[in-house]
Formats: sequence, C-alpha cells, structure tokens
Amino acid sequence: MKNTSAKRALWRGLTSTTASLLALTIAATPLVNGFRTDIDKFLGTQSQMIVTNAEEDPSSLYTYTSDYANTTELVQAIADLAERMSEEGVVLLKNNGALPLSQEETQKLSLLGFSSYYPVMGGDMGSSLTANEGTDADTVDFVQALAAKGFAINPTLQGLYTSLEPMFKTEVNKWGNIIEYYNITTPSTTGYFTSKEPSQSAMEEAQAGWKDSMNEYNVMVVTLARSASENGTYLPGEAGVDPSQNLNQADALGLSDDERDLVQAAIDAKTANGGKVIVLLNNASPMEVEELEANEGVDAILQIGLPGGYGFYGVADVLSGAANPSGHLSDTYAVDNSAAPSAQNFGNYPWTNADASISANSILVEAEGIYVGYKYYETRYMDSVLGQGNASSTVGSSNGSAWSYDSEVTYPFGYGLSYTTFTQTLDSLNVDLAAGTVTAQVTVTNTGSVAGKDVVQLYTSLPYTDYDKQNGVEKAGVQLLDYAKTGELAPGESETVTITADAQYMASWDSSRDNIAGTKGTYILDAGTYYFTIGNGSHEAANNVLAAQGKTVADGMTVEGNAANVQTWELAELDDETFARSKNGTVVENQLEDMDLNYWMPGTATYMTRSDWEGTFPKTYEGLTATDEMMEYLDCDVYEISADNGDPSSVIFGADNGLTLADLKGVADLEDPRWEALMDQITLEDCMIRTAFGGTSTKDIESIMSPEVIQNDGPNGIYSYPLGQYANTDTESGDPCAIEADDPNAAYKAGVMPSPVVIGQTFSKQLAREYGETMGNYSLWSNLTIYWGCGNNIHRSPYNARNHEYYSEDAMLTAYQGAAFVEGGMEYGLIIAPKHFAFNDIEINRTGISVFMTEQQARENELRGTQPIIEDAGALGIMTAYNRVGVTTSNAHTGLLQNILRGEWGFKGLATEDFIQDALYTSLKEAVMNGITMSCNTGDSTLEAVAEKFDYWTVENVSQDAQLMAALKQAMTWQYYAIANSNALDGMSSSSELVSVRTWYDNALTGATVAFGVLTVLCAVMYVRAAKKKEQ
Amino acid sequence: MKQNGIGFYTTGLSFVAGVVALVFYMINAKTDYFANLGVSPVVVGCTVVAVVAELLLLVLSKQNQPIWMDLAAVAAPVLLMVAFINLTGSRVNGIASIMTFENNAQTMSDLTSAIVSMAALLIACLIGIVSSYFNIRKA
Repeated sequence: MKNTSAKRALWRGLTSTTASLLALTIAATPLVNGFRTDIDKFLGTQSQMIVTNAEEDPSSLYTYTSDYANTTELVQAIADLAERMSEEGVVLLKNNGALPLSQEETQKLSLLGFSSYYPVMGGDMGSSLTANEGTDADTVDFVQALAAKGFAINPTLQGLYTSLEPMFKTEVNKWGNIIEYYNITTPSTTGYFTSKEPSQSAMEEAQAGWKDSMNEYNVMVVTLARSASENGTYLPGEAGVDPSQNLNQADALGLSDDERDLVQAAIDAKTANGGKVIVLLNNASPMEVEELEANEGVDAILQIGLPGGYGFYGVADVLSGAANPSGHLSDTYAVDNSAAPSAQNFGNYPWTNADASISANSILVEAEGIYVGYKYYETRYMDSVLGQGNASSTVGSSNGSAWSYDSEVTYPFGYGLSYTTFTQTLDSLNVDLAAGTVTAQVTVTNTGSVAGKDVVQLYTSLPYTDYDKQNGVEKAGVQLLDYAKTGELAPGESETVTITADAQYMASWDSSRDNIAGTKGTYILDAGTYYFTIGNGSHEAANNVLAAQGKTVADGMTVEGNAANVQTWELAELDDETFARSKNGTVVENQLEDMDLNYWMPGTATYMTRSDWEGTFPKTYEGLTATDEMMEYLDCDVYEISADNGDPSSVIFGADNGLTLADLKGVADLEDPRWEALMDQITLEDCMIRTAFGGTSTKDIESIMSPEVIQNDGPNGIYSYPLGQYANTDTESGDPCAIEADDPNAAYKAGVMPSPVVIGQTFSKQLAREYGETMGNYSLWSNLTIYWGCGNNIHRSPYNARNHEYYSEDAMLTAYQGAAFVEGGMEYGLIIAPKHFAFNDIEINRTGISVFMTEQQARENELRGTQPIIEDAGALGIMTAYNRVGVTTSNAHTGLLQNILRGEWGFKGLATEDFIQDALYTSLKEAVMNGITMSCNTGDSTLEAVAEKFDYWTVENVSQDAQLMAALKQAMTWQYYAIANSNALDGMSSSSELVSVRTWYDNALTGATVAFGVLTVLCAVMYVRAAKKKEQ
Repeated sequence: MKQNGIGFYTTGLSFVAGVVALVFYMINAKTDYFANLGVSPVVVGCTVVAVVAELLLLVLSKQNQPIWMDLAAVAAPVLLMVAFINLTGSRVNGIASIMTFENNAQTMSDLTSAIVSMAALLIACLIGIVSSYFNIRKA
C-alpha cells in the first residue's frame, strides 16, 4: 500500500514537473517572438532572410558600393579618420612656445594625473568607447598611442598611478550592466561629482620620491578630466560637488585642491628641472580653467575632448608637432559656469502638483531667451561697451562687482591657436536676398614658419532696433553665420576662401508680426546696418564690429578691434516678406506659442532681453502648479478616436497591385503614383503593429515585401552591433560587401570616434562629411542601415552631462557639421538621423519634463541646429525626444512635427520616438497623427500583443476613424520611402521574397514543447495507472 | 499536526509565496510606471486559481486524497508558471528601460514590487512542483 502511494506521488510529481515545463515552453513562445530582434542580437542568430532569384544579375541588385575592398581597409580607414579628426579637433588654448615638443622632449614625458592613464575616451553611458582587440584596427588609450608614436614616458609615475588603480574604480550602471570604470565618471541625475584625483600625500605614500623622477622626465603633461554621460548631470555650483570631500571645489566643472596641487607640483618640478608644464583638458563640457590660463607656470593648455579609440594618436601628433592644431572651441569657456543665465534654470524643479502616473514631473523654463553661450557673453559685452541695457550691472556677475567680459570669459567660442600664425582679410561681402545668400570672400595667409590649416568664421551683427524692443525681438551682438576651413597652407601661402552663407539664418523670428497667412509670427530683417566680420572666435568678431562702430579700448573694450575686417550692408526698411515662406514655399507662422510659459500662465515668466540685462536676468522658476488646462495636455490623451472623422472606406488597405518595395528602390519622388499604389497594398494591421512596435529594428512587412531594417546608436560611431552580426557571410551571393564567417573584424564595433564636441571643434565640414561616408561604408559591410547618430541638441548649458553627444552651443556649427555628416552617410544609403527633436536640454526628469521657452529662442537656437540637416541635407530619419515641448510630449506636438518639421522644412523620412516604454507617455495615437512612424516599444508582431500595451489600438477602434487611418498610412509611406532610398534594399529585386528562418532556439523551443508534451502525457498515464493500482 | 506530511508544509509555503506574489502584483499594477499596463486577467486568474487550489489542498486533504486533489496539486504550479511567464513578458521592457534610460528613485521603487512579484511567483511555482511529489497527509 505504501509502495503504491509512493508511486502515485512520484508520477504526480513528475506530471507536475513536466506539465509546468510544458507551460513554460508554450507561454514563452510568444514572448520569444516578441523579443526576437533582441534575442537574435544577443545570440547572433538570424530569423529572416531575403531570397532573390539566383538567376538575377547580382551587379544590378546593389545600388551602393563600398570604397573598400575588405573589412581591413574599412576599419583602418575608420582609425585614420578618427586620428585626423582629433588632430584637427583638439584646441590649443594657451602656448608660450612650449609646444610643439622637440624630438628630444618627446622622450621625457612625465604623465601626471590619473586621467593620463585612465582617460575619458567616451561617455559613461551613451557614445561610450567600444574597445576593439584582435582586429585590424585595435583601439588605444593615451599611453598606448604615445608608445606607438615613439614617445617615452616616466616609468616611475606610470607605476605610481597603476598601483593606485583600485581607488579610481567607479561602478556605473550602463544599459543594465554594472560596468567598472577607472576613469573619472559623471554624476547621476541625482548625484554629485566626486574627485578621484589622488592627493599629494596619497601619491607620496604610494611612491616616495616620485617627484625626483621628473628631473629626468621634465616635460610634465597634466591631464585633467571631466566625464560625460547620458542620464547624467552636473549641477551648478557647490550643490554639484561631493560635500564630504572638502577640496575647495566651487563647481563640479571647476578644479579641486587635489588637481591644483598636482598642477603646482608640476610647476615646482619645472622650476627645479627647467622643463615644461602642459595641461590637457579631457572633457566635453567646458571646465572652469581661468586659474590655469592666468598661471604663468602653465606653459600650454590643450583641450582634447573625448578622443575615442584612436584620437590619442592625433593628440600625440599635435604634441610632437607632426600635426599642427587647427581646432577652435565649439563652446564658451566661462570663468564661472554657474553665473550664466542658463544656469539659473538648470536643475530639478518639480510641479507642485506633479503626477508620476502621467509623467508630469518637473519644468524647465529657459528664461535666458536666445542668449545661450557666446550670444550672451558677447552681446552683454558689446552692450557694456555701447553703454546700453544696464549691461554693466552687477546682476549676473560672477564676482559680485560690475559685470565685465574679462571677469566672465576665459576662452571665447570659436577661439583656438596654431603653431603658426595667420592673417585673414575680408575681401568682399555681398548680400543677395533674392538668392537668399550672403557671399564672403576671405583671404587667409600663413604668416608663420610651419604649415597649417585655418578656420574662417563669418559672423554677423544685426541691427537691434526700437521696433525690436517694443515687440520682444532679441538680437545677439554677433552670431555665427557660416564657416569654412582652409587646406594646409605652407608658410607664406595664401588661400582665398569663399563662403556662401544662407541668408535666412540672419533673419529673426518675430512672434508678434502679422504674416501673409493672416496669422501671427514670421521671420523679419530689421531696417538698419548689418555688420559682417571674421575673427578667431566670437570675441574677436565682437571687437571688430565695435571697432567699426567707432569704439576703442577707451570705451571699455578688452582689446582693439579690426574695423578693416568688417563689411556692412544696409536695409532701408523692415523686411517681413523675403523669409515669410520656407524654402519649400510653406508660409511660416507661430507654431510654438504653447512653449511660452506665459501662454498658459500669463505674466509668470520674464525672458531675458538685452534692453534690460539687470531687470530681466533670469530668476529660477520653481514651485509652479500646472493649471487644469495644462493638465489636459499633460495627461497625454489628446486625440479622440472617433467615427466622425471621415469616411473609413476612403482609405484603401490591402489592395493587390503587384508591387514590392524593391520596385521603388531609389525612387526619390514621393509624387510618383507607384508610391500610392504600393502603399494601398499595406494592411491596416501592418500599419498598426509597425507604428506601435518600432523597437530596435524596423521589422518586415510582407504585403509590400519590406525587409527588417536594423537600427543603431550612436554619435561616436555605430556601436549597437558588431560588424559581423548582420553581415552577409555568403560570399557566393554576389554581395560585394559579403565577408567570410571568420573575418578578422567580424567582432569590430565602430563606437570609436572622437565625441561630436571634437568634431564640432574641427570646424571642418569636410571631416564631418568623411565621417558620414565612413559610417556609410561601415553600414554596407555590416548591413546596418538606420543610425541614430547625429546628436544635434545644442549645448544650452555646460552642466548637461550629455553634451558629449552634441556638437556645440551654436546652432549653425551644430547644423552644418550635422548636415555634412548626414549627407556623407546618404551617399552610401545610410540613414543618419538627427536627435533628439527637440529641446532635450537636460537629463533630469527627461521623461516628462516640460520645457518652456519663447518661439524665437526655439527657432533660432535649437531648431536652427536641425533645420539645414532636413532642408538642405535631406535627412531621411529623425528621433524625437523624451521631454515635453511645453506641456505636450515631443512626439505629439503638431506645431513642431507636422507644421515645422514636415511642413516648413519638408521632412519626408521615418521618425521614431526615443526609448519611451511607458504606454501612456508613448502617446501612440497622438504621435501617429503627428507623423511619427514608429514608437520604440517592442513586442510580438500581433495585434493582440499591441492591444495589450495600447488598449485603444484595436482594429475595431482604429478602422472607424478615417483620419487616423490616413495618418497611419501616411506614416508608413514616409517610413518605407526612407527605406526604399537607403541601402536596406541592396540585394533585393522585385522577385525577392522574405523567408523566415528557424533558428536553433526556435527548434530548441519547439523540441522542448513536444518533448515535455509527450512526457506530460506519459507521466499522466503512469500516474493514472498508479492511482488505479492503489484503488485496487 | 502529526498527520501532516511534507507536502502540507511545502504546499503551505507555495501558497504563501503565491499570495505574496499576488499582493505585490496588485501593488505593482498601481505604481505610476506600470499602472498604464493595467491588471492582467491571466496573471490574476492563474495565480488566484492556483492559490485557491493549494488552499483547498491544505484544508480538505485526507490520508487518501482523491484524484481531483492530485489534479489540483499538478495544476497549481502549472498555473503559477503561466502567470510568471506572463508577468515577466509584460514587465521586461519596463525593467530594461528603468535599468538604463529611466533609472531614478521613483522608477526603481516601482520596479521593486515587480521584481518581488515575479520572484515570488517563480518560488511559488518551484515549491509547488516539489510539493506535488509529496502527500499532504501522512499515509
């Protein structure tokens, strides 16, 4: 009896075990399907492939061809470009002749500062360095690069810092993995900066007598670093500094006593050994280094940015003089960043009625108006010289006394030195409003003794009139209009550079002006004198303009300007017609009135005006309560799906027109009737699933025969997948970019480039374009087509730790570097998308934060940084931002997305949301209505899975709303238009078919399901037998 | 008490874990981050049926337990497994996002109840499987 009972229990247990495992495999199957892309990414498997008729001529199937014969050439080209970018992107800020080093001096380097050995090469999270080993272009750090370039470094110091390695460790949560970093890291959005620089006593303890070693190695190179990161932030002033350290550090971006002591130790050693002290700034956000500039013991300062995997080769070349620096700052280096107007509203300012359930968390009022970066410093400086606007008031002064430029700015925007000297003359300037151009001819002459490149920066100074003051139109004292870089000029050689600038970017947005549509808001050109000048940075430009206006040092100028390099142009009457329409003929009008806090809360915000610096310097906006009206938008539920929105039968789906996407390969004209015919074939279900589950790849659609297209991050190079992950390993397929399965570079990842700050600092559109071309080539070999790689938010504040992914504080530098990058990629069919559209100016509470500003600020700063990338370069992709535009999610703001992006600028490509996973904040229906083609959610490609996340997204609901269906179809048209004009269709023809491939894990799952099913039945049978026996 | 077999205690543990999972799931479903996903009838239904089955086993089981009780002992872990997979599937995107892009005190707090619920469901399931090898009452 006991035996039969035990048997029954045993079979019951086994039945339970196998049945539970059967349940596991069955329930996991849809889960696996939902995350197939990510699983394939993780396992390196492929679930789908394109099969094209083998009889087709392979040469006709490939639109794009690589410049390289194999991956070795490819990765070495990447390394070469990165080195050149660094050579041209590092900025020589100070040099008393110490640089370049002689050959003898290159053998005597004492590297000081732990960041010399553990440098910041990329972001902690986002645009991080992908180190490559065992490839044909392995990445290097500073020490490795120096060794490769033949330098010799002080072994005692190297040993000292290596022995202290444990104290440099920081654990960072990166994409869910805890990564140990030994370089300095960025504070989280709720943290503060902690210095890791060893104190002098710690160094002495680690290696007594280390200072003596510098007598032999007497070229002291001190590296000071600040890291950068997505989802990280620096906070202004002491609030951003670890309070437990007591290192006399007034700001996270300022120096600590440990860093000061280190520099002083180097200077003391120099005094004793007759050597040199060179400081390297390894940072993306401007550090406060006035004390180093003023310190005569510091011989040279070189800003190297975040160099990536090969940039230190370039740094080494600049140190040795093998390369002549030609970089110029893409940001202003202020004495005290916390005194900037933008810093007054940079932090966590929750709504008093914050509601986390709708991601209504906090606000950011950008009360500085258009006065970001140099537009603030130079404008206020010019007004202080001109004696207007209370510019010399103590308000906003970093030292409490009357505001003066020299007390506020260490290095201006656009500034940079060379090992040679140049003269520039503005030979001619012509404004042609009919053509929409400003053409300048500038002659650049190398007047020094070594060859080098120079940058021509063309600035304009617009009239600031009574009309402007009365109507709230602001004008920067100087603003960059365009720029160009010379070729390498030998000593004595000259080059005449012609810049043809876009005249629309000297127009100002006037929100109060009547426009030709009968509404408000348009671009204006004020009546008055327009000044155009050139200069080594914004300050030289400002001084030139002031000189042309008759001002001198006696009037308070920092130095005399050069009026000879100024040309003027007169406009007799205010012009509100020339730029009343965008380039595609769309009438411009106010679209972002709801971004002004005063739209919702009249009289609440005061935006800074140069007519009264003292009275309007920003106060901090906090403790605000969202009104009921604002809450109606903050709840993300604006669009009501309704049967009253037109005739559903008017929107055609599922037609049989016999077309495939490959039939429209390279068809750039969206008016081609085949586009409509093709998109009539798509089903409503496909539209709904693909907009809802954009995920990390744009999955196949059989009704139009579109392949899966993989999406990638990031601004320092495509790093989401190794080169070989999606590469074609069938070398018999005719694919010119197929690789062998054992390709030596199959594991290579291209997140190796210098950060966009360095690329901005090159002021070289050519290099930016080459970057796009190189990534385009990489795309062809790796089969990675969509690339979220063009970070073009502007550097509103140095405290934004994510600045490393963006170019500059200036809109035009941002825009033109980005446009060249995008154009370069498009030559090879790579869709490089700008991000984050728009106003992703802070990482604190970025999911939900409400960003407020004037429409003039929005259009002339952040949006102008994107406009040419769309209008001129014709980008085919874009990513929206986490933040809100006013109270509306950035993925659902009609004025921004439909009216400016697609209307005024004519954007025709695919548009994704950022990595928003919250179903409500995704605002799916609102996003689709505003031209978003995919959210970033992932799931099984079934409507059931979609409806589980978005309960309103059912065929029953959507099919009754003609307006929504039309928007869905339009979104898909834009998406597949972009894909048809990319390299994603290479290898495909009309006869191509998508074939699903059963991966090994599919087989394993099915096998396990069958096996557990059989075992469950067997166990159940045995249980029944045992139970019967027991009964008997 | 002397009549209680190992299965009584393990089933009791599974029952407790199942109830804990259910409570934390309901808490999680009301957190700001996960509230928009709603309450899954599959998760709730499977978990409730499983714990009720285990409760019945604990209360009604006799020395010679009838076949329907054996079925309950088998069904409980199966249902808990289905609930676990379903819950995991609905939370994995959120977990990925919170652990990376949206990592802050609020979201981490919201995530905790999801993790506890998933862990409790898995534990309940595993103990439930073990329980099915043992009788509730001693023979």
